[in-house]
Amino acid sequence: MMVPVRCFTCGTVVGEHWEEFDERANEGDEDPQEVLDELGVDRYCCRRMLVSHTDLVDVVSPYQ
Amino acid sequence: MELRVTESSETELSIEIAGEDHTFMNVLKGTLLEHDDVSAATYDVNPEQSGGQTEPILTVKTESGVDPLDALEEAAVDVREKAVAFREAFEAAA
Amino acid sequence: MSAEYDVEFVEREDRDARFLVQGITPAFANGIRRAMLADVPTMAIDTVRFVENSSVMFDEQLALRLGLVPLTTPPVGEFVEDDTVTLSIDVEGPATAYSGDLVSSDDLVQPADENVPIIDLKDGQRLEAEADAVLDRGKDHAKHQGGVAVGYRHLQRVAAVEDLPEFEEPDRRIVRGVIEEDGELVPTSEFDHDLSNRYPGQEVTLEDVPNSFVFHVETDGSFSVEELVTRAADTIESRATELENAVQL
Repeated sequence: MMVPVRCFTCGTVVGEHWEEFDERANEGDEDPQEVLDELGVDRYCCRRMLVSHTDLVDVVSPYQ
Repeated sequence: MELRVTESSETELSIEIAGEDHTFMNVLKGTLLEHDDVSAATYDVNPEQSGGQTEPILTVKTESGVDPLDALEEAAVDVREKAVAFREAFEAAA
Repeated sequence: MSAEYDVEFVEREDRDARFLVQGITPAFANGIRRAMLADVPTMAIDTVRFVENSSVMFDEQLALRLGLVPLTTPPVGEFVEDDTVTLSIDVEGPATAYSGDLVSSDDLVQPADENVPIIDLKDGQRLEAEADAVLDRGKDHAKHQGGVAVGYRHLQRVAAVEDLPEFEEPDRRIVRGVIEEDGELVPTSEFDHDLSNRYPGQEVTLEDVPNSFVFHVETDGSFSVEELVTRAADTIESRATELENAVQL
């Protein structure tokens, strides 16, 4: 639904970087790897949090 | 921190240290083993879900003529001094 | 017997640091590490009273998200374990509620990160809530965990022994952490964690330096690395003092 606030594994705050990551790597055409490196999301546990996330608020909101 | 002696003799002492976990117990055990008059030191903890005895029990064995309780007290002082020395060294570098 | 420690920073930022500690036993190093993760109290939202929540998420889900937002933790002595700080949030859609929208009643306790999306609000949806933040330890809930991914490795000493045979394909020699080279500390990231980049065509030996540990410490923003380490040492000190007093009785 919404991006997790923290990485499930290590507890780093990843929600902070979601909007920039989404804009640059998902909406834009930058390489996700480079975007994550620049954002300082180094560990693979935190990287998967952003890479594998999909916002679902728009999908469920009509059914409220 | 509640202490409860479970077994005690001249040179051996088993004591329950309630409310502590590996963080402190392992440091304490390591410090006891550095002590010249301590011949053996160990601790045992059971997981919370196991039921029964879940608080750590520390067992200290000393060379004859040394009260294990005194050794424990000295070890506590050593741990405190280590923590203070570590903090001072860290602050000096920071 | 008082131990002599020697601390040296290798990398240092506000929330992320690497430092070498020499003369530390493995037991004590682990005690410090565990204390940083589980025993240093931080502020986090614990109770939320919802005035209005017409968003797509349930109250409980939003309360969890609010709880996970790191808050700056006031200096030692300002707060004790049962004090609370009230924060409020009031956002009306269409908009996104961010952690930065939390308004705190205390300047010392503020959201450490301001861009964490809490909930996306559509037209006509509204989030209004009041939250109480409390001081607690990582042992009780992960949201109170000030240090993230705290760990240590042995300092590694590298020495070149001899040249490799001329036509032999060099093997990669991966090592992570910090190496010692004639007394100089070199983070392995400088040569892509591969010793064959730093010593091309040479056979090298690698050994752990006893009682020398390189700590890698990151915080969630509640406080600086320095605060976290000194407070972790303080928790161990206070427990040792407590034991000392309890034994004397």
